[in-house]
Amino acid sequence: MKNHKPKAIYRVTSAVKLFALGLLLFALSLQGCREKKTDSNISSSSSIKQQQYYVQGEQLYIKHCSNCHQKNGTGLGLLYPPLAKSDFVDQNFEAVVCLMRHGIDGELIVNGKSFNKSMPGIPSLTDLEIAEITTYLYNTWDHKRDSIELQEITNILNRCVDESNPNRSSTAK
Amino acid sequence: MNKSLVNGQQSIVRGAASLLIVFSILTSACTKKENPLPIFGEREVEGTDTVYHTIGEFKFVDQDSAAVTNDTFKDKIYVADFFFTSCRTICPIMKTQMLRVYDSIQNEPDVLLLSHSIDPEYDTVGLLHDYAERLGVKSDKWHFVTGSKEDIYKIAQTSYFATAMEDKSEPDGFIHSGAFLLIDKDRRIRGKYDGTKEEDVNRLLADIQRLKKEYVKEN
Ligand code: HEC
Repeated sequence: MKNHKPKAIYRVTSAVKLFALGLLLFALSLQGCREKKTDSNISSSSSIKQQQYYVQGEQLYIKHCSNCHQKNGTGLGLLYPPLAKSDFVDQNFEAVVCLMRHGIDGELIVNGKSFNKSMPGIPSLTDLEIAEITTYLYNTWDHKRDSIELQEITNILNRCVDESNPNRSSTAK
Repeated sequence: MNKSLVNGQQSIVRGAASLLIVFSILTSACTKKENPLPIFGEREVEGTDTVYHTIGEFKFVDQDSAAVTNDTFKDKIYVADFFFTSCRTICPIMKTQMLRVYDSIQNEPDVLLLSHSIDPEYDTVGLLHDYAERLGVKSDKWHFVTGSKEDIYKIAQTSYFATAMEDKSEPDGFIHSGAFLLIDKDRRIRGKYDGTKEEDVNRLLADIQRLKKEYVKEN
């Protein structure tokens, strides 16, 4: 009898150890998944407001933009240009803000490739929603811009030329 | 060494081997018993023959101005859908998914794709040509067709059971389903998938392989 007891305890502890190890591995893999899932480049030090913008912006992006540009921002062939890696996005902050509301037409060169299909604007987007999408777009994938203020977006939106005006250069930086 | 122990070990090995054989027979039996894909639509029994619903006659023009008819798909499995180039809602997603199908059948000479424009007046041959080129696909594998609006709507509704009609109150001016339809070599519908859902298209990819096997067996 005396001999059996420690053995049993040993078995229990090793089972517990195994279980704990399994749990640890599971937690680690979960963590890995989570890290892979978000493409957020928004730093943890940014304000709560910025983080809220980002989360809202992601939802709005999925709702309004992802059907054409894809959820992961890769676009589709030479039909819909990419957003994830785009020199246009990098270089034309104001134009990007404007095209969400007013759309964009005509030939557009993105990463050296020519696109030419019209993107319809979404006039119903509010300034705040555009600020949120902009926060998402500019802090995801290849981009890291961080702080985007609503006032800044409103100012840009007030300067946008109408989509009927083909001269976009005045809105581009 | 103890003889009986060696014997014991041998018999364990033997036991394991025979178990493995039984197991592999069982699993191979399972794969052979895989249910055939369903056949969609009404059927009529004429004497001893069952007559199934089949895709009606059609004649359209593709992105290279070539005529596309039932003959184009003779002895071919194909996937059909309905779209239009100016569609902003579900079509880009459908085309992303169809592109996956296209990539997966690159080395399958007996599988083709057929996309019908439901806005054929706007989607001219030239526009479809540009669209296909920008998508980066070849016409010998993926036909984008246009034709008379009446013909396209009729075949959508009566042959493919797909919704396609004009509706000015819709954002794009059309109502249409995002369905992908799998058609066998006998013009029968064997599967219907939501072309906007990745998982559904995964099922389509698997079903294409299943359908191919059916014809291997019959020949
Ligand atoms: C109906 C499809 C469609 C939708 C929806 C759409 N876009 Fe676009 N987008 C396009 C097309 C097409 C172009 C290229 C326009 C051209 O060739 O002039 C484009 C261009 C762009 C560009 C500039 C080119 C680039 O890739 O950098 C940006 C930025 C952009 N879109 C962002 C957005 C955002 C943000 C949304 C959501 C608010 C959105 N788009 C919704 C089709 C769409």
